Amino acid sequence: MVEFVFRVAGEAGMGAATAADLLSAVALRFGYNIFSSKDYASQIRGGHNYHTIRVSNQKVNADVREINILLAFNQESLQKHLEFMSKDGIIIYNSKDECVEKDNLYLFPIDIEKIESELKEKNLLNFIFVGATLKTLGVKWDSIEEIIKQKFAKKTNLEIWKNAVLLGFNQAEKVYDLPDLNQNKNAQLISGNQAIALGALKAGLTFHAQYPMTPVTGILHHLTKEAINNNSLTVIQPEDEISAINMALGASYAGARAMTATSGGGFALMIESVSLAGMAEIPLVIVEGQRPGPATGVPTKTEQSDLKFVINAGHGDFPKVVIAPGSIEECYTETKRSFYLAEKYQLPVLVLIDKHLAESFDTVNLTDIEKDFVFDYDQHVNIIEMVSEKQLNKDGLFKRYASNESSRTIPGTKSGVYTCSGDEHDEVGQIIEDAEIRVKMMDRRMKKMNSILNELPDLEITGSDDAELTIISWGSNKGAIEEAVYLLNQEGKKVNFVIIKYLLPFQSKNVGNVLKRAKKLALIEGNYTAQLGQLITEQTGITFENKLLKFNGQTFTVEEIYREIIKWLN
Amino acid sequence: MAELKDFNRTEIPNWCPGCGNYGIIAAVKKTLVELSLSNENTVLVSGVGCFAKLPYWTKVNGFVGLHGRSLPVAQGIKLANPKLNVIAFGGDGDGYGEGGNHFIHACRRNINITYVIHNNSVFGLTTGQYSPTAEKGRKSKTSLSGSTELPINPLALAIASGATFVARAYAGNIKETVEILKKAVEHKGFSFVDILQSCVAYQNHKNKDYYLERVYYLDENHDFHNKSIAFEKTMEHESSDKLACGIFYSKS
Repeated sequence: MVEFVFRVAGEAGMGAATAADLLSAVALRFGYNIFSSKDYASQIRGGHNYHTIRVSNQKVNADVREINILLAFNQESLQKHLEFMSKDGIIIYNSKDECVEKDNLYLFPIDIEKIESELKEKNLLNFIFVGATLKTLGVKWDSIEEIIKQKFAKKTNLEIWKNAVLLGFNQAEKVYDLPDLNQNKNAQLISGNQAIALGALKAGLTFHAQYPMTPVTGILHHLTKEAINNNSLTVIQPEDEISAINMALGASYAGARAMTATSGGGFALMIESVSLAGMAEIPLVIVEGQRPGPATGVPTKTEQSDLKFVINAGHGDFPKVVIAPGSIEECYTETKRSFYLAEKYQLPVLVLIDKHLAESFDTVNLTDIEKDFVFDYDQHVNIIEMVSEKQLNKDGLFKRYASNESSRTIPGTKSGVYTCSGDEHDEVGQIIEDAEIRVKMMDRRMKKMNSILNELPDLEITGSDDAELTIISWGSNKGAIEEAVYLLNQEGKKVNFVIIKYLLPFQSKNVGNVLKRAKKLALIEGNYTAQLGQLITEQTGITFENKLLKFNGQTFTVEEIYREIIKWLN
Repeated sequence: MAELKDFNRTEIPNWCPGCGNYGIIAAVKKTLVELSLSNENTVLVSGVGCFAKLPYWTKVNGFVGLHGRSLPVAQGIKLANPKLNVIAFGGDGDGYGEGGNHFIHACRRNINITYVIHNNSVFGLTTGQYSPTAEKGRKSKTSLSGSTELPINPLALAIASGATFVARAYAGNIKETVEILKKAVEHKGFSFVDILQSCVAYQNHKNKDYYLERVYYLDENHDFHNKSIAFEKTMEHESSDKLACGIFYSKS
């Protein structure tokens, strides 16, 4: 197994992101699987930020505690990350900073000032460090040069940057070997935000309205770029989240495949409109990217504390779907499924992710995962273009909300006129207060939940068949738990893992059956109150004694889950 | 050619007898007829309040959404299908209070829709509280000693926010209101019409006589292409008993 974990750490504005990008580009070119995450402060300049890039010849989907190669952009970075260094690790740092001498480490202090004065240019530290790092891994200069030329082809500073990388390259020595694996030619390195944008586009997205909010602003950026050359896509940044969701509802009513995205605070503003989507039966995909709350919370870190908030969001009883993808690949697939379910059942569908999924990167081959969920992307689902006499009321209005009617018309359709209504209404959308009609309409809407339940994929279980311990979790924890369980299985420990992806409607029968069979249960979640645990208890009566709950803004690492499972097993 | 009856439904409005909304719904239907707009290619969008039931009594595509949110819905519809004729409605509480933010930004954005406000200076459906356009000193169930707040000036706000068509009408004068609405709907860009109306239940002092004494219509002497003059005109009522109606400002 070939695996290296790089950490690029420094102040915001020092170019750590560019360095991380460049290292990832080299690893990607050589056919490695990459999982990269970033930890940053809510400020544009200064503060301590770091990128962790895990490069492996096997599929990796999680953060690990231990790092092999540290690119320490300043003194603070040296101090903060030394404790995570593996035995025989490499540290690249500025010679003006002081690095504590430690056994079993390869230290490469580099005189940045000297190189910068040689090149008569400032702010080159990130490029110089990348050069040195790649030298320690035995990467040939020709390959590096080619990647730099390609990556920065349009930049006026190309020559200076290339020279900076070369001078850095010459400052270090080969320690390890990062061979070209010559594989994974079609893989791309994408974030969860990108995966959602790409999934939405594949599913035929034509309208996106979003007010910027960490951690899902990336979706708005990707789609805005996409809209330049895509005439069928409208992307708008409205005045607030309430406007965003109402614009999306208007567009969807008029026939667009529409989406909006936000984080917990923005979603709080949208909720009255989620209820409207349920009542008026308007398809809509909403992405909720969690970060630590309450209120502004810790805006650039991660957490999973909106589960109960999101599944319960909206006044009144109405049908709604909540899906929580567990990986960046699933962000793509489940976004496609969300569009399908939203349009078919004419209701709001939430894609619930968190900062860790939204802003981490993974190597994904979209062609390989395309088959995971497919529908006829180019065709409208349950929209009719012709209305027959039988479907009209005495005034010639379309009985869109009739109990035997599952299709809608969009404005502009001949004889398709009806009122799309947030008031309780009759078959044509006319406002009513009649008790009998009210009950009929509630039944019409709520019965969608059962039909959806029948369309959801089976529960996903990985690991030993005859497990002594069953782990339950959801969302972005999936990668770290899967890897820990895999390692333990390799060592002969009997553990398995159930990931809950569909939160609403909840597969209570399947979940209940699987968990009741388990010998011992343990719950892992990124929140204070064990929200998934509460949901499972509510739905199945099963309770959890063993819990690992984390709410410090950080992600679960493979090592900490591994350690915890060992404790539970003993 | 479509006739008025083509826009009728079996259900008839249940507003209070004498409500200004009757004048507005009549003017809206007449506008649709005179502009030959079809019921399938037109969408009326409203929010919540007495006014908001207008689409329920008009045989046209309708979207009755949330309080204060007709503008974002209407803009979404127009962006998704620019061929549709989209008219959004608001009340003075709904549009200037709850949805005030959307109003400012819809003016700036200048999407080709029409926004009509039923302005009766009072919350009707919640039984008579002072609204954002109620005059200072107005007594109501929630302003027992008289409101201490200044009324907003929606026309000035619209012009300042970049609206490209700004007009005022009076619900009691249907013929004149139709002429103003026709120009608003035909305007390319965001057109805004504030329609003054009486509330017979909760705003008796601003009855038909009150308005008929004050309302007059701007004529060719008013240069509606001149933003400064238009802006000044929106403040005329603050220092006189006159209430100008008609087109205050139009960019084209």
